[in-house]
Amino acid sequence: MADKLITYLININWQIQNIALASIVVLMVCLLHFMIFYLYYKGRIEKKRNKWRMISDMLISKAIFFEDQRDEIEDEILASVTTAAKKLTDNRHFRIFIAEELMSAKKNISGGSSDSLKDFYLQLGLEQYALRNLASRKWYVKAKAIQELTTMHVGEFVDQLHAYTNDKNDHVRMEAQAAMVQFNGFDGLDFLDTITYPISNWQQIKLLQLLSQQPPSNIDISKWFSSANSSVVIFALKLARNYHRFELHDAIAACLDNEDPQVRLEAIHCLNEIYTDETSDHFIARFLREDIKHQLAMTKVMQTVGTDRDKLFLLDLLTYDNDELKLHAARALANTGRDGLGSLEEYSKKSDQAIGKILMHIKGEKAA
Amino acid sequence: MSWQTFILHIFTYGILLYSMILLLCYLLIGAFSIMETRSYLHKNSFTDYRVLASSAEAPSMSILAPAYNEGATIIENVRSLLSLHYNNLEVIIINDGSKDDSLEQLIKAYNLYKVDFFVNQQIKTKPVRGVYRSHNPVYRKLIVVDKENGGKADALNVGVNIARNDYFVCIDVDCVLEQDALLKLAKPFLETSNQRVIAAGGVVRIANGCEIEGGRLVKVNLPKQFLPRIQTLEYIRAFLLSRMAWTKLNGLLLISGAFGAFDREIVIACGGYNTNTVGEDMELVVRMRRYMEERDEPYKVAFIPDPLCWTEAPSSFKILGRQRNRWTRGTIETLRFHKKMFFNPRYGILGMLSYPYWFFFEFLAPIIEFFGTVGIIIYFFTYAVNWQAIMIMIGVVCIGILYSIFAIMMEVLTYNQYKKRKEILSLVMVAILEPFVFHPFVVWSAVVGNFDLWRKNNSWGEMERKGFVANKKA
Repeated sequence: MADKLITYLININWQIQNIALASIVVLMVCLLHFMIFYLYYKGRIEKKRNKWRMISDMLISKAIFFEDQRDEIEDEILASVTTAAKKLTDNRHFRIFIAEELMSAKKNISGGSSDSLKDFYLQLGLEQYALRNLASRKWYVKAKAIQELTTMHVGEFVDQLHAYTNDKNDHVRMEAQAAMVQFNGFDGLDFLDTITYPISNWQQIKLLQLLSQQPPSNIDISKWFSSANSSVVIFALKLARNYHRFELHDAIAACLDNEDPQVRLEAIHCLNEIYTDETSDHFIARFLREDIKHQLAMTKVMQTVGTDRDKLFLLDLLTYDNDELKLHAARALANTGRDGLGSLEEYSKKSDQAIGKILMHIKGEKAA
Repeated sequence: MSWQTFILHIFTYGILLYSMILLLCYLLIGAFSIMETRSYLHKNSFTDYRVLASSAEAPSMSILAPAYNEGATIIENVRSLLSLHYNNLEVIIINDGSKDDSLEQLIKAYNLYKVDFFVNQQIKTKPVRGVYRSHNPVYRKLIVVDKENGGKADALNVGVNIARNDYFVCIDVDCVLEQDALLKLAKPFLETSNQRVIAAGGVVRIANGCEIEGGRLVKVNLPKQFLPRIQTLEYIRAFLLSRMAWTKLNGLLLISGAFGAFDREIVIACGGYNTNTVGEDMELVVRMRRYMEERDEPYKVAFIPDPLCWTEAPSSFKILGRQRNRWTRGTIETLRFHKKMFFNPRYGILGMLSYPYWFFFEFLAPIIEFFGTVGIIIYFFTYAVNWQAIMIMIGVVCIGILYSIFAIMMEVLTYNQYKKRKEILSLVMVAILEPFVFHPFVVWSAVVGNFDLWRKNNSWGEMERKGFVANKKA
C-alpha cells in the first residue's frame, strides 16, 4: 500500500515541484518589482506633495500673517490660488493633504487667523467631502471625517456627530466624544448619560486634556456616579478629583460600595484629593471586606487623610503578614497626627526587625 | 522497492510535509501581519502622544536596567534613560555585582548617596547591598541598586521588588530608546477596557552603523558589516511579520528581554523572573499567560510595530554563536517548564497554537533541518542523487528568500527606516545570501545549544559589546 502511494506520488511529484518552484520564483520577481514600483510611486507622490505644499503654505501664511492687511492685489492672488486649489480637490490625495495641512495649522493658532483657515476649508468645499466620508463603511475614514470637522470647528454638524458618541467602533466613538467636548465644553459631556460602551483609560485622558482647555464649570457630576457603565463612574470620579469638587465627598465615599472593583479603586484614589475628617472612617469600615490591592490603596491614602483617631488602626496593620501593607501603614502612621513618627518609633522597639528597617526607610524618606 | 529506497521516500516525504506546513504557517503569518499592521497604523494616525506626555493620569512606570560590568558605557546609557519623555517615571539601575567600577562611576557622576531602603522581598532574590539616590534633584528619578551577582533574572527581580509603579519596563542598559518609546509602549495598557494588558513589547532594531549622539539615535543607517546587516533583516522579519501576526491572534509568547513593559502586579503574582533558565524573557511571558488562563481572566499581550529600541548586534560569529546557543536553550527550557500546555485545550490559543508552533517550528526546525541536510548529503554519496529531496531543499530555500523579501516590502510600506534605495537593494541581496551564509550557522548554533542543554551547560554566554562610541558622528 505504502509502496503504491509512494510510486503514485513520485509520478506526480516532478510536475508539482517544477510548478511550485517556478511559482515561487515568479512571486519573488513580482514582489521585487512591486517594491521598486512602490518606491518610484512614493517618489512621485512626494514630488506632487511638494508642489501642493506651495499652495497650502500660501493659503496658510495669508491666513496667519495678512489677515487684516491684505490689499487688492494680494486678494486677487489669494483668490487665484484658492481657485487652483479648489480644482485640485477632485484628487483624493490632494484633499487628504490639504485637510491635514489646514488641521495641523488650525491646532497651533487661534483667533482671527484660525477663522480664516476655517474659511479656506469651507471655500474649498472640504466639509462636503468630510460629510460624505461620515457615511463610509471604513471606521478610519469615518473617524477622520469627524476629526476633520471638529478641528476645523465646523459647528453646523454637531448634532450629526453626536449620533456617533455611542458608535460600536471605539475610534469613531472617541472622535465623536472628543468633538462634543471641543464644541460644547463641559455641556458636551451629556453623552455620558447614554453611552453603553466603555470609555477606555486612553479616551478618559484625552477627554480630561480637552476639558482642561475649557473654562471650569459646575455641572452635575454626581448623576454619573450611579451609571450602569462603570467606565462612566470612573471618569466622573476623575472629574470630581481634578476639579476639586469637595461637595461630592459623600457621593464619592458611597462609590466605595460599588460592585466593580475598578470603581472602588478609583474612589479610593479620588478620596486622596477630596477628603474630610471622616474619610478614614469610611476606609476602616470597609477595610476587612476588601482584597489586598484595595487595602494597600486605602492604606496609602491614609497618609493624607489619616487622623489621630486612626493610630490604633494603623498600629494594628503593622501586625499583618504583608510587608508592603506594613510599609504603607508605617508611612501613614508617621504622617498622622501630632507625633505619628514617635508612635512608630515606640512600636518598633518592641517588634520584629522588619519594622525597624521600615522605620529607617521612612526616616530616610522624611530627611530627603 | 528496496528498504533503502523506502526509507529515502519516507524521509523525503516527511520533509516535504513539514515544509508544506511551514509554508502554510509563513502564508498565515504574512496575512495576519498585514492585517494587524494595517489596523495599528490606522489607529495610530488618531493618536497624539503629547496628550499622554503632559497628563498626570499617565500610568506610572519604572525602568529596570540590570548592569553587569558595563563600566565603559554606563554613565552615557543612564543619561539616555533619564532623558526619556515620560511623566510618571523612575529609573532603576541594578548593579548585579559588577567586578568593574560601574557603581563607583555612577556614584561619582550622579552624586549618589546610600539610603536606608526597606526592600520588600515579594520575590526572593540574592541580597541587596545598598540602594542609592542622588543628592541632585535633577536626578530624582534615578535609583541605583547594588546587589550580589545573581544573573539577569535575579537582578530584574530585585528591580521588581524595589519598583513602586504599576508597570515596569525591562531594558538592556546598553540599548538606545527612541525618546517617545515609553509613551508608545504605555498606550496599549490604556486602550482596552474588557481585557487586561499584562505585557507589551515593541520592535527592537539593530543599531550597528547608526549615528548615535549623547545616547540618542540621530541617523539610521544600514550596518556596514555583513553579520549585523544580515541580522537587521532577521529582526525585521521576526518583529514586523512574526510578532505582529501572533499579536493578531493574541498568541504572542515572547517579549524581547531587551525592551518590554509588564504589569507589575501580575509579575509578582507569578513569582517574577525564573532564575533557572537563560530564556527568562520568554519564560516570564509564558508563565504570565498561563497564570491568566488558569484564572480564566481575559487578558492580552500587546505588541506595537514602531521601532522603539535600538541594540547592538553581534558582529563576530563567535559571539553570535553564543547568543543563538543561549536563545535555543532558553526556548527549550521554557517549553519544558510548561509542557502541560502542549495541545491542551484548557489553555486556548496558547496551548493549541502558540506552544505547538514554538515546539515544531522554533525548537524542532533547526534539528530537522540539520538532520535533513545531513541525510541528503549521506544519500548523495552512498546511494543515489535524490533529486526530489534536492528540489524540495531548493524550494524551501526559495520560500525563505521570498519570505525575507516580503518582510523587506513590509518595512518599505510601513516604517521605511532605510531610506536610500541602495540600502533596500542591499537588504534584498542579503535576503538572497542569507540561506547559504548565515542560516546554516544559526542552525548549527541551535544544534549545539540542544547538545549543551543535554550536557547541562547553562552558561549565559557573554555578549561582548563594542558600544556605540564608534558610531558617533565626528
